[in-house]
Amino acid sequence: MFIFTLRKLNLFLFTMLLLTILSFSLSFLFPGEQLINISGQINATEQELAILATSYNQEGNIFEQYLAYVFHIFSGDLGVSMSSQTDIAGEIVRLLPATIELSMFAFVIATVIGVPIGFVAAINHNKVTDNVILAVAMIGYSVPVFWLGLLAILTFSIQLGWLPSGGQISLLYEIERPTGFMFIDILVSESPHKWQALQNAYAHIILPAFVIAAAPATVFIRLARSAMLSVLETSYIRATRAKGLSFIQIIFRHAIRNALIKVIQHIGLQFANLVTLAMITEVIFNWPGIGRWLIESIYQRDYTAIQSGLLVLSTFIFIVHIITDYTYAALNPLARGAKYGSR
Amino acid sequence: MNLLDIRNLSIELIGKNESTLAVDRVSLAMKEGEVRGLVGESGSGKSLLAQAIIGVLDDKWRVSADRFHWRGKELLHLPIEERKAIITQDVAMIFQEPISCLDPTTTIGEQLEEAIDSSQLTGNFWQRRKQRKEAAVTLLHKVGIKQHELCNKSYPHQLTEAFCQRVMIAIALARRPMLLIADEPTASMESTNQGQIFRLLASLNQLKNMSILLISHDLENITHWTNTITVMYSGQFVEAGTTEQIFNKPFHPYTQALLDSSLNANSNVPAKSRLMALPGSIPILQHLPIGCRLGPRCPRAQQACVAAPKVKNYHGHQVSCHYSLRDSYK
Repeated sequence: MFIFTLRKLNLFLFTMLLLTILSFSLSFLFPGEQLINISGQINATEQELAILATSYNQEGNIFEQYLAYVFHIFSGDLGVSMSSQTDIAGEIVRLLPATIELSMFAFVIATVIGVPIGFVAAINHNKVTDNVILAVAMIGYSVPVFWLGLLAILTFSIQLGWLPSGGQISLLYEIERPTGFMFIDILVSESPHKWQALQNAYAHIILPAFVIAAAPATVFIRLARSAMLSVLETSYIRATRAKGLSFIQIIFRHAIRNALIKVIQHIGLQFANLVTLAMITEVIFNWPGIGRWLIESIYQRDYTAIQSGLLVLSTFIFIVHIITDYTYAALNPLARGAKYGSR
Repeated sequence: MNLLDIRNLSIELIGKNESTLAVDRVSLAMKEGEVRGLVGESGSGKSLLAQAIIGVLDDKWRVSADRFHWRGKELLHLPIEERKAIITQDVAMIFQEPISCLDPTTTIGEQLEEAIDSSQLTGNFWQRRKQRKEAAVTLLHKVGIKQHELCNKSYPHQLTEAFCQRVMIAIALARRPMLLIADEPTASMESTNQGQIFRLLASLNQLKNMSILLISHDLENITHWTNTITVMYSGQFVEAGTTEQIFNKPFHPYTQALLDSSLNANSNVPAKSRLMALPGSIPILQHLPIGCRLGPRCPRAQQACVAAPKVKNYHGHQVSCHYSLRDSYK
């Protein structure tokens, strides 16, 4: 397990290296002066620019400049936004939790709904249930998320009036935000209307989360279905049948675990896709997350914000990847004790 | 009384337009305490037959038979669930490539424990867990594994092929079967390990009076361990009899060819001479010859062979051939 952790850490370091190189080179590739792109100080005076130049080590060669940039990142300085002149790191700390909350919620929904349905489809292979599930999955996968979001608002918020159409929580509730995570903040808050606020926050998150979850859930259905089908055909399942276990026992004791292992490997990859969907959905549902902020920065040509936003989002996705890798290793004994040279 | 008596069992592969007869009216009978070899080339339907007996074929295959007696009880009329319950209670099977037959994500101990039937356990539910563990350890000892703790904790990929096969045998023994079907148990194993596995099976046969159906493609190798042998070719019954009958006086040209093709140390083969083998190869399922399926390759084939021969019985030595070699021994 220690070596496994070291390997993952190693991978993380190299990915971070590449990501920072990419975001550093973006400051050269964007139009305008590199120093202003990287720091976001558009209204700086000559003296301020001179100070900035020394802090970003502009006299040194490109490698030294890169080191200075990395140093800035690690000291928590991502520059200021070109359009609003606010500190980007602060903005991100304020906005990222909302996105994490939303995407995690959607991710859980997609997994909890998608994977079991996929298993059910595989168990009823070539029957009506299987075909119906596959057809629904195909439709769900093909519907574009921006249209689905608008449709959901039209039906559930405007016509039926069940759920709010946008925002994270109703403005009536005054919740202090020490962590930035809405649900945690509500639970730790001293507000007398804590439980109503919690209910309200749930009502707000359901619609966007389901809209985001629709496409990944259908992918999970198909992944889980094919994984389960291949597991059901293996010789160890046949051997357990010969052993005299009932079908339900086989499914729950052997098939599900083996199929899950195959699914989890792909689930991590789907997370990047899910975050992209979340960014668009945030715009539609007016969700105060980093996705909406990033898309707005793209509209406003706020190069510093784009650069840092990309860096932060990709780090987030990569961390989720590592977590799924750990889950995979926990479930799969073959991955845990991989021998030298075996992969 | 026969333990297992199967008459004219056919297995069809159901296709979209037509079905293919993979196993064509094969009969098989097993007595209690008997070790029977089931021999044939790869692709001759031995494994299919075994899987049909134990009932683990999936719904791509259709099995039909004239008679399927288990300990004098006709199983064909029973509903499928009941039939499976009876069969899995008394018949166990071990497969080739044992590593792939063990769940890779579950420890050996768990897989062994779940095979133990709870009806064997006495006592209350809080004692059962411990009893199950003890029973699993006893099973491991029975198949000659002494380091039971290490073994119980291991995953299949951490053990060798022969070790896994022992575990498979232990799992098979968990239900105390009367019949053990061993489907090429030593395929892809070293010969020392092969010997160990065969010796283990032989001792189980002698100590527990357990019948064994030993499936192999290697006639030479299994003759040391079997009492009787059934030979199959391309899904058809060829010949059955005691090991001596088959080995010393084969009646069927195919059995003769099988024996001739195997080399041993005292056979005087001149240098650089061709080895004995039938011309051609086993037909594929899509292009099966009519009548006797050996026909195109058979050295003794004549016109009558386009019709499938009837099984003839000479003092327990059954042969399915129009022109059997029986007359040539007189």
